[in-house]
Amino acid sequence: MIRFLKLYERFGIVIFIVIASVFLAVASPNFLKVDTLLNIVAQGTYAAIVGFGMTLAITSGGFDLSVESVMSLVSVSLALLFPLIGIPLSIPVVLAVAASVGALNGLIIAKLKVSPLITTLSIMTIMKGVALLVAGGRQIVIQEKQFMELGTGKVAGIPIPIFIMVFFFVLFYMILYHTPLGRHISAVGSNENAARISGVKVDGVKIMVYTLVALTSGVASVIRTSQALIGSPSMSPGFVLVAITVTILGGTSLAGGRGNLWGTMLAAIFISMIYYGLNLINVQIFYQMLSVGLVLLVALFIEGLRVRYLAAAKARGIKV
Amino acid sequence: MELLRTEGLTKTFPGVVAVDDVDFDVVPGEIHALVGENGAGKSTLIKIFGGVYQADRGKMYFDGREVSFSSTHQSQASKISVIYQEFNLVPDLSVAENIFIGREPRTAGGLLIHWGRINEAAAGLLERLDMKIDTRTYVSDLPVAERQMVEIAKALSYEARLIIMDEPTATLTEKEVVKLFEIIAALKKEGVAIIYISHRLEEAFQLSDRITVLRDGKKIGTKATSQTDKDEIIEMMVGKVVTEYFVRRERAEESREVLLEVRGYSVADHVEGIDLKLHKGEILALAGVIGSGVHGFLQSLYGVIPKKSGEVYFEGRPVEIARPKDAIRLGIGYVTEDRKNSGLLPDMSTLHNLTLIIIRAIARLRGLLIRDREEQARFKDIRDRLDIKVASSGQKVIFLSGGNQQKVVIGRTLLTDCKALILLEPTRGIDVGAKAEVHRILRELADRGMSIILTSSELPELVNLPDRCVVFYKGRIAAEFSQDTMDTGQLVAAQIGHSAEKAAGRARA
Repeated sequence: MIRFLKLYERFGIVIFIVIASVFLAVASPNFLKVDTLLNIVAQGTYAAIVGFGMTLAITSGGFDLSVESVMSLVSVSLALLFPLIGIPLSIPVVLAVAASVGALNGLIIAKLKVSPLITTLSIMTIMKGVALLVAGGRQIVIQEKQFMELGTGKVAGIPIPIFIMVFFFVLFYMILYHTPLGRHISAVGSNENAARISGVKVDGVKIMVYTLVALTSGVASVIRTSQALIGSPSMSPGFVLVAITVTILGGTSLAGGRGNLWGTMLAAIFISMIYYGLNLINVQIFYQMLSVGLVLLVALFIEGLRVRYLAAAKARGIKV
Repeated sequence: MELLRTEGLTKTFPGVVAVDDVDFDVVPGEIHALVGENGAGKSTLIKIFGGVYQADRGKMYFDGREVSFSSTHQSQASKISVIYQEFNLVPDLSVAENIFIGREPRTAGGLLIHWGRINEAAAGLLERLDMKIDTRTYVSDLPVAERQMVEIAKALSYEARLIIMDEPTATLTEKEVVKLFEIIAALKKEGVAIIYISHRLEEAFQLSDRITVLRDGKKIGTKATSQTDKDEIIEMMVGKVVTEYFVRRERAEESREVLLEVRGYSVADHVEGIDLKLHKGEILALAGVIGSGVHGFLQSLYGVIPKKSGEVYFEGRPVEIARPKDAIRLGIGYVTEDRKNSGLLPDMSTLHNLTLIIIRAIARLRGLLIRDREEQARFKDIRDRLDIKVASSGQKVIFLSGGNQQKVVIGRTLLTDCKALILLEPTRGIDVGAKAEVHRILRELADRGMSIILTSSELPELVNLPDRCVVFYKGRIAAEFSQDTMDTGQLVAAQIGHSAEKAAGRARA
């Protein structure tokens, strides 16, 4: 039992994916086709990429509500910059803009000791305002059609966003599990006092974390903007909840200290699978949302059981 | 007649018999000490008394009637009160609210809390304990010692006939312990029975009427305190004769080389104008009760809290230590007094806990990528050196015993190859065996030239472990003892503000 629970901690989301796959494969003959599956993964890439950032934030003991507004800001900036400096230069510039908003979040949280909730909520509101202001309160149509290739093109039959997701997965995986920075992020989330006493630059870690979250938001926004070819000042309302959902569903502890990037990526694909799959069998959007909510509740319920079971086992002197 | 009696009490958890066929009893007005190494079954036993666990077999009688408690509530209703090590208080409620939680006196309609009465009743209870704290203070604002008094007041409010205390003195200073003992004695006079769990044998001897020893879940025996001695009890606890568990350190040679020196060191609200030298290879103990500033002084020395003024010299050079990072860079290590809040990373593995400080230093590409093999090698090295009992490097640190957790916190710092080591309460809340091991480790480190500066609220540790003991009182140095001039009585007197002469004078008069 304990071994199962330990496996569940790491790969619990796989069980959900398997169950949903079996169900969808039975319900729809179109589900088990390469194109369908690739589409599902491609649709899940934004949630996964922002989820990677969110995973770091939650691992460090915080979280970031400002991702949507950063995405909006990046989207309108792209639309405005393309005619001025061209596509290749615009992308790094807007990512730098995104990163600096994140650094601002981090600075406020670390140096002014404002809670991540209040800080990122304020920055979210401010940046939404800035995005609207810059865009003049409307959507900007992007004329540079070739930009669409980034979000919709394929290489070797695989959609480009999937490559981008894999790249960021590897990058964040290395950061979280194979660098001292990643170790420090977990340490700050697990016990900030202990981290500080051990010489960890807690403030620097936090600034870095929020910068990285904003960077992932920027990347997701670039992909999305490319697909729609519209600079939108109010992009993806409610997306922040998706990012937090995939992180938690993936097994990252809300209490901090333990991040699960595999879980985040798989959870993003799983959520995409539910939306896409239920669409495939013509289930209405309301039911799709309802089922995602239910899955989250069930997952958290199982997680609660798991933690309590392990604690009880420990209290009984069983090695866990 | 016995107040509480058990027959063949047994509690099995999958894979382990935590309490094995235990016959135990306590009579009204008795102080019954329960001792044993960690894992001996003390905690499980008192949790059965407290209604947290239910016994699988055996009988339990309270006041002559057979009872079994299926909830803490039932145990409480029988007037049993258990004060656990980690208190059952709500930090964000006031003292009075905590005492009467769930039973708050109501106004006439029964709808609102009668604040006048609740505070008055709480004040009355605290009065009995000779405590002067505002009952409206939030518990989170109270020091540990006062929180414990609130727990005792809560027990009194239930008119408890049996109070079980789990390591009540672990976090108290000697002075507070004296106070607690007075209260326990007063409770005894009122006919309250007390089961007292402690790692400090001398307390058990000082306080108890009888001592029961548990080992591996079994009761080894119950002795009348007046008819036994420490050696016998320790033998019962560990199952073999240990004649000396506190060996004095033989020092080959006094080193007069100064490693660390502070001059005119002041920390706001803690210490004022401290001059102190720490020699190479020396174990220096700083003694002081709460309010002496000892903890604040050492925290500031490591850069956890800022200093107000004063100079610090390390290896003869003036240095500034504004943050822990500065201290680490100089080669000063630090072991916190509070493993839970500022020591352990509970969500992380033992490996990651141990290598936290050095992880950047041992990473390749200028500290960018962790070298897994190197990290494992360092882990194995320190695990073997300190004999840390851990199933695997990936085992979560919260699943280790208290003694092993403490070794992890110490090991984390030792991996940095520091030259000086600051330890606050290095053996707090760990069992006798682990204590002896920590002491052995500290001696070995000092023998190899490390300078150690520590503070402790355990008298034997202050008397026997260090080469030199400096006593702080109200933020200033009050006395200093070397191994030759060490006098337990004078040490205690100095800690509570009696100068040696005064104490001597009183003795003459």
